[in-house]
Amino acid sequence: MIQTINPTIKAVAVLIPGILLSFAFDIVTPLLFLVYLLVLTFFFAAIPWKKWLLFFLPLSIFAMGVAWMTMLYTDESYQTGPVLFQFLWFEVTLGSLQVGVSLALRSLCFITLSLLFALTTDPTKFMLSLMQQVKLSPKITYGILAGYRFLPTFQTELVLIKQAHQIRGVQRAKGFKQKWQHYKQYAIPLLANSIRKAERVAVAMESKGFTGDRHRTFYHALTISLKDWLFLAGMLAALALAYYLSYQLGYLRLIGQ
Amino acid sequence: MKNSDPHSQPLFQLRQFSFYYQGQEQAVIDQLSLSLFADEITLLMGASGAGKSTLALCLNGLYPEAVEGKTEGVILYQGKPTQAYAKGLLNQKVGIVFQDPESQFCMIRVEDELAFVLENLAVPREDMQAQIQAALELVGMEDYLYHRIHDLSGGQKQKIALASVLLMKPDYLILDEPTANLDPVSRLEFIEVIIKVQKEKQQGILVIEHQAEDWVERADRMVVFNQASQVIIDDQPAKVFANYQDILHAQRIALPPAYLKRQSLPQSSPTAAVPVMEVQQLAFRHRSQSILHDVSFFIYPGELLAILGENGAGKSTLLQLLTRLKQPLEGEITFQQKPLAQWSEYELRQRTGFVFQQPEHQFICDTVYQEITFGMEVNEMPSAYIENRAAALLRLLDLEQHQFQNPFMLSGGQKRRLSVATMLDETPEILFFDEPTYGQDAQTTKELLGIIDNLQQQGTAVVMVTHDMELVAQHCQRAIVLSEGGIVFDGPPCHLWKENQLLDKARLRAPYHERVTQKAATIG
Repeated sequence: MIQTINPTIKAVAVLIPGILLSFAFDIVTPLLFLVYLLVLTFFFAAIPWKKWLLFFLPLSIFAMGVAWMTMLYTDESYQTGPVLFQFLWFEVTLGSLQVGVSLALRSLCFITLSLLFALTTDPTKFMLSLMQQVKLSPKITYGILAGYRFLPTFQTELVLIKQAHQIRGVQRAKGFKQKWQHYKQYAIPLLANSIRKAERVAVAMESKGFTGDRHRTFYHALTISLKDWLFLAGMLAALALAYYLSYQLGYLRLIGQ
Repeated sequence: MKNSDPHSQPLFQLRQFSFYYQGQEQAVIDQLSLSLFADEITLLMGASGAGKSTLALCLNGLYPEAVEGKTEGVILYQGKPTQAYAKGLLNQKVGIVFQDPESQFCMIRVEDELAFVLENLAVPREDMQAQIQAALELVGMEDYLYHRIHDLSGGQKQKIALASVLLMKPDYLILDEPTANLDPVSRLEFIEVIIKVQKEKQQGILVIEHQAEDWVERADRMVVFNQASQVIIDDQPAKVFANYQDILHAQRIALPPAYLKRQSLPQSSPTAAVPVMEVQQLAFRHRSQSILHDVSFFIYPGELLAILGENGAGKSTLLQLLTRLKQPLEGEITFQQKPLAQWSEYELRQRTGFVFQQPEHQFICDTVYQEITFGMEVNEMPSAYIENRAAALLRLLDLEQHQFQNPFMLSGGQKRRLSVATMLDETPEILFFDEPTYGQDAQTTKELLGIIDNLQQQGTAVVMVTHDMELVAQHCQRAIVLSEGGIVFDGPPCHLWKENQLLDKARLRAPYHERVTQKAATIG
């Protein structure tokens, strides 16, 4: 299960294919890799598919929008092949369609990769791993964890402030300018309280003996085992295979080609 | 262990100690000389702003470093200046539990938070499990090892905060108003845990408190600060409250109810009038979880109605429904015989008011004056009226000298008064309060009650959600108790105090005088 992979290795195993994939401008390479990722997500990650869709759908709609725009505004050097159709004053050629679809597929790969990481990783363990494996300073990691704890309280407080303003008779915002005005009014109490809370948490952490010093023991020991290296190798091998297959089939096209 | 025993060496000795925040001329702590002993519970009281919390942080060595403040004089810890200890060492020897249960944790789960402390001390991993278990058992939270801190109640959070401090095996414990945010029963439970710990560990404790009630008989010694944080009284608590009432009053310190005369409630019978608000069969759900069900009651003009219940009983939701900030799932609320849903937003806000727990949430303008006139401007009142009304409100709430200040720069009590003032541009027909006395000193509470009384005279119905049972006993004609989303009591508070089972169920606690009378009755 991907949940049990060391978080740091998992992050690397998601980042490197992400970067390497951005060189493929054809359709087949990202398509093959996407299929691999979906198999991984649904058979080896135990993510509830409803939860996955909740994140995947909005993100993929955004990706499609970007791909559509790219297709319409393709760089001239890629606008090869016959004109397929006309849309307003845009001429879409086979070349630009390819670029658009490829970008869409790559975006879907990035989204799937990110979700594969985000939905199978416990934030606390990720931070602990960054301290233990990457030797990141405890000041940074515990700072991030303390901040992460704030997120729900932040939301609750925003709702309260909105209600408080409604009680004051602040009318519902109409138009962009008024909305902006409102957000400015929300920001001051929200920020004032956040600063106060942050100070309090910092003081509380220090009074529990936290000095930011690296000499500390760990309750959860996070280690890297063979399984983690195999996972990383598996991800890289899958990407290499996708590149190789699309090259063999004659589809592969790298950036600038 | 009582004060009369000859002490050993004091644990802390403060000599002419002063503390200045960076860039401030005025000292927060001014030439304080005081000794604290490891074998006693010391109760420290003083008005807000007297530097009590600052002192706590100076004692455990966090200040002046953490804020780049300036100090004069010296604090000796076991005969050695605090500055001479290595960084982090004194923090471990002197543990603090803070006031706000929401902001003293940095981890998500109980287990990890407690482990965090042990990690800081570089305790070997093998020993951690046993120590965590022992600390949780000590505070009675052993079943919560894997719980998320966010899901715990305020009282449970404070017990976890205490457990994590105890893991450091401190020589001295400082409690900085740890029960200010808790409901009455949680408050008592927390204090009982503290006393248990104290007995078991023979721990020296400094308790900073606004409410002395539960500490008078438990503390060995009481120290009172004046505004300049100088010690003006240092004696046994019972003697302090018996002999120095005038001084305490001048320092805005509330006397425990045991030292106050029992006040009889002004009786009024508003039931004859037509209700301002009628609530029928109200129900509300949040994500398929029932929050309120079958809630029905009337609110009458001129009455002061308290809504009571433990944290999570649905009190805040009820207020939000009554003020139309949320829509009920079932049932109907009418305001002045007209369904609440049919009122225009504009008119509803004009004729009702809601004062939030945190005054700052309600501020929207740059100056106090604008804040007060905002509602009237929205309602397009004639400018002469606005000026008169604003002047009257500023006078009534004693904010005249501050009218051109930014609301955020006011003191706590001033902020509270201003947040009430913003609701009074026209005398509302019904006014809701969420925890009106929360975090207030005795003086502010008194002022607020004066304003409420004034409004009642004019026929305004005042509804308040509160944990403060003394307030209810002394000022409210009627109380509604919520438990598990339903109303379990509706009637005069004096009847409520007799219902012991009901009080237990709703996690409420009768006020002092009632408890004493009942105790006397059972003994007699």
